[in-house]
Amino acid sequence: MSSPKRSKLRAFASKLCGFIGAQPPDEFDDEVQEHVQLLSERFKNQGMSKEEAAAAARRQFGNVTLLQEERRGLQTFLSIEAIWGDVRYSLRALRKSPGFAAVCIFTIALGIGAATSIFSVIENVLLEPFPYKGAERMVFPRIHNSQETGEDGRQGYTANELLEFTESNHVFDSITAAAEDVVLFKHGEGTDQLDGAHVTPGTFEFFGMPALHGRVLQPADYEPGAPPVFVMRYKTWIERFNGDLSILNTTLDLNGIPSTLVGIMPPRFGWYDADVLIPEKPRREAKGSFAESAEIWFMLGHLKPGISTYQAEADLDVIATHLAKICPQDYPARFTVRVKKLGDSVIGRFESTLYTVLAAVGLLLLIACSNVANLMLARATTREKELVLRAALGAGRARLVRLLMVESLVLAVAGATLGIFIAWGGLKALVAVMPQDFIPTESVIELNTPVLAFALAIAMLTPLLFGFAPALQCSRRDLIDPLRDTSKGIGGGFRSGWLRDAVVATEVALSLTLLIGAGLLMRSFVALREVPLGLQADHVFQAFVPLPPDRYKTPEQAAAFFRPLLARLKALPGVVAAAASGAIPPNGGDATKLQVAGKANTEDWQAMLQQASQEYFHVLRIEFKEGRGFNEVELNDARKVAVVNATFARKYLGNENPVGQRVRFASLDTLAGQGRDPWFEIVGVVDNVINNGLQSPIEPEVWIPYTIPGPGAQALLVRTSQDPATMMNAVRQAVWATDSGVALAYPGTLTDRVNEHLYAGPRFGFVLMTIFGSIGLILVTIGVYSVLAYSTSLKTREIGIRMALGAERRDVVGMVIRSGLRFVFAGLAIGIVVSLLLSQLISTQLVGVAAYDPATLVAMTLILMLTAAIACWIPARHAAQVDPLVALRYE
Amino acid sequence: MQNPKEPLERPMNAKKSEVLQGTLDLMILKTLHGLGPLHGFGIARRIEQISRDVLQLNEGTVYTSLLRLQLQKWITAEWGVSENNRKAKFYSITKRGLNQLELEAQNWTRISDVIGRILQLEPGSKS
Repeated sequence: MSSPKRSKLRAFASKLCGFIGAQPPDEFDDEVQEHVQLLSERFKNQGMSKEEAAAAARRQFGNVTLLQEERRGLQTFLSIEAIWGDVRYSLRALRKSPGFAAVCIFTIALGIGAATSIFSVIENVLLEPFPYKGAERMVFPRIHNSQETGEDGRQGYTANELLEFTESNHVFDSITAAAEDVVLFKHGEGTDQLDGAHVTPGTFEFFGMPALHGRVLQPADYEPGAPPVFVMRYKTWIERFNGDLSILNTTLDLNGIPSTLVGIMPPRFGWYDADVLIPEKPRREAKGSFAESAEIWFMLGHLKPGISTYQAEADLDVIATHLAKICPQDYPARFTVRVKKLGDSVIGRFESTLYTVLAAVGLLLLIACSNVANLMLARATTREKELVLRAALGAGRARLVRLLMVESLVLAVAGATLGIFIAWGGLKALVAVMPQDFIPTESVIELNTPVLAFALAIAMLTPLLFGFAPALQCSRRDLIDPLRDTSKGIGGGFRSGWLRDAVVATEVALSLTLLIGAGLLMRSFVALREVPLGLQADHVFQAFVPLPPDRYKTPEQAAAFFRPLLARLKALPGVVAAAASGAIPPNGGDATKLQVAGKANTEDWQAMLQQASQEYFHVLRIEFKEGRGFNEVELNDARKVAVVNATFARKYLGNENPVGQRVRFASLDTLAGQGRDPWFEIVGVVDNVINNGLQSPIEPEVWIPYTIPGPGAQALLVRTSQDPATMMNAVRQAVWATDSGVALAYPGTLTDRVNEHLYAGPRFGFVLMTIFGSIGLILVTIGVYSVLAYSTSLKTREIGIRMALGAERRDVVGMVIRSGLRFVFAGLAIGIVVSLLLSQLISTQLVGVAAYDPATLVAMTLILMLTAAIACWIPARHAAQVDPLVALRYE
Repeated sequence: MQNPKEPLERPMNAKKSEVLQGTLDLMILKTLHGLGPLHGFGIARRIEQISRDVLQLNEGTVYTSLLRLQLQKWITAEWGVSENNRKAKFYSITKRGLNQLELEAQNWTRISDVIGRILQLEPGSKS
């Protein structure tokens, strides 16, 4: 009768669902055997033969197989066959009301789809971003200044420090490190820049990842005199070399060294975000200080088993204290070593956005569940007679609840299946609006096993939310009353629809909370957009042009590159002006301490400092408040002149006329050389230009000519009369025509750069919330409409009687709308209270708008009220068209 | 609920009465209440003895009933050694079982009173 597979299923089910007190079958067998034995002994004593006694005993005991079946039935409350029967029954029942089924499934699918897509982002970005084995135990140390509160602190180390940490620590089983190396890759046409990294021996063993093609670096590659080789990451291989496998084992010119490409890493390998990984063994340096060190290493340690981050901090503290004695200038007066997990390095602010969104999606799922619960309640009412009949025929309450729960489960599973498709599509859209630099390169956002398990888990849980209340309500009832009731009855067979109303009120409350959240984020985003940048970003092409340090040591050499290049660029058709600079907005220059002549300052005065060519302010359309920019003579003679921003003037020069004041900069003092005048004369003051993000005040900033010895210029800014994106090739050719060994790095339009740096994060949050808020609104509209339409149809007779007794159509409309708006208003009130309570959660995401912003509250309440009114009006109009005669004759 | 496809075995001895459904539970509860912990065989013997062979009992059904009572937590089971030194499972009534027994006994008395009175009605007489 039962195939082995089915009996296995059964065994599983009985294990799964067996009650306490159930016993293993062999125990029962023992008991039975004992009993039959005793019986047959008794019969034998009465004089039967052995065989007769055994047969009689078996007869008296009864059919053992049947007993076992019965016991199983008792112990496995949920037997697979019975459930399967319920499933088939549910499918049949749902097929009979396809409209109901479709709305339910669609609603669940929206909820589960949204939740699943957000969960998969969180899973892939926050929970499991790194594909490396043991990634959760990979940590990096930073030197934290005890006098500062922030999370800042040095996380780069000299080779001496790195080796000291590697040799003396007791907490890591292995350490790897990488140092940045800007790689100029010279090819037939010109030069391109690659982000390179020098990696220490054992790096690939550390991450435990084999190469996709070719091989990873081996110990022999690190030996002195070994042929130069390197490994490339997947993304670079695809984007720069079109995934051409023939470049494997060929030799490329990297920084003038012919190096062989020996391996291409898998897509999810992204150590140090490096395009190419070049072997390098760190060696002790004679000049060990941070400033003089040839390379700065970022290191990653893998914690030994059982070692906590606190233990690691304590251990590294000892080493760092020792190092601080050797190079005191590289360490703050008081410091501790802080150890951070690899995962913490990339997420930062994005984390709170994601969790806000997850909360929103949770609300959405709740709304979807309440909607379905409502639909089920409504349907249960029409099925009342069927259920009562079942009860009358002997179905217990548990049995009825089970039947209804199975139905819910069938709906949920169907919804989840559709939901996974929605999530799949939603993810694609999500990845498109997601700010790229917020997620680690290693993480791939996809529907993986944990995500699918998550969707399945919700599918199993949601029926409890939306199915249980309806199931309980319609199984708790006396048997006679509804059967006697004439068909659908006057007020509906249910004692009252209070549960339905409560559910819709909850829905309205949740949706309002969501909408208010979306509204606040939207206002916050608008506020961010209104923060003045201090420049015109449109029609500007920007790129970095890092000069090879071996050929460009002096400002004269740099000028010999930039002067003809800027002239070439200006000669291009469509170019209005071109400039060189040290940084590209929205970033400012490097921070330096400074002094103003004739002013004593107690605390440190700081400013951002960068070098620029004379057309810099013109290209960016930065307004002068006082004075002027550099002129050509000053630039050519490398005169010590400076332009400062308004914050600088206000903060350090007070009310005095800034023009003509003299300042000196700590970072340039050593470069000025002996006997040269370190003082710069301020010739102009410009408007504040964004240099510290949208949410923080502007930092003091200074511009000096790029022909003076200093950090130098490394960026190009070109104002164009046409779309700047079209200028890329022309600019690149101009660069290569000036020096074919210089690469155009990170080219693009300034607008894109500003968007990505300043607006992408907030926009992501607000776009998502708006989408979810809209879905919530749709769901609520469906919810309000379906409940009201249903309860109105139950009242058809009542309406008929009222109209027969003289009620006007508009009275009927009013009555229905009033009954609908009653729970809508209740929900709105709750929603406002909840939003105010939850406002603390969202306030960290908000800029320029309070979490209890009254305008948003009012606007969103009105939107929801209007939508709800429309949802009420449709059934009300239907009700008003009721013909009293037809209604009374109905059934 | 029984699966209708499964064969139902019925005792064919027409001389003896079948045990009314549900009454077996009551009988077992009462037996355990009266005699203390017993194993399945002992319970079957006791019922046989009390009913003086009037009731037809498939003794196996005692075990189904015992399991049902266990699931309701009205009785508990424990392995022990029987009088002839064999391993046996002993069942004893719980506090909840005592309450249930009292309830069921009252119910039973009430119903049997009613049935008795109905059966005493003379044909043709109007009450």
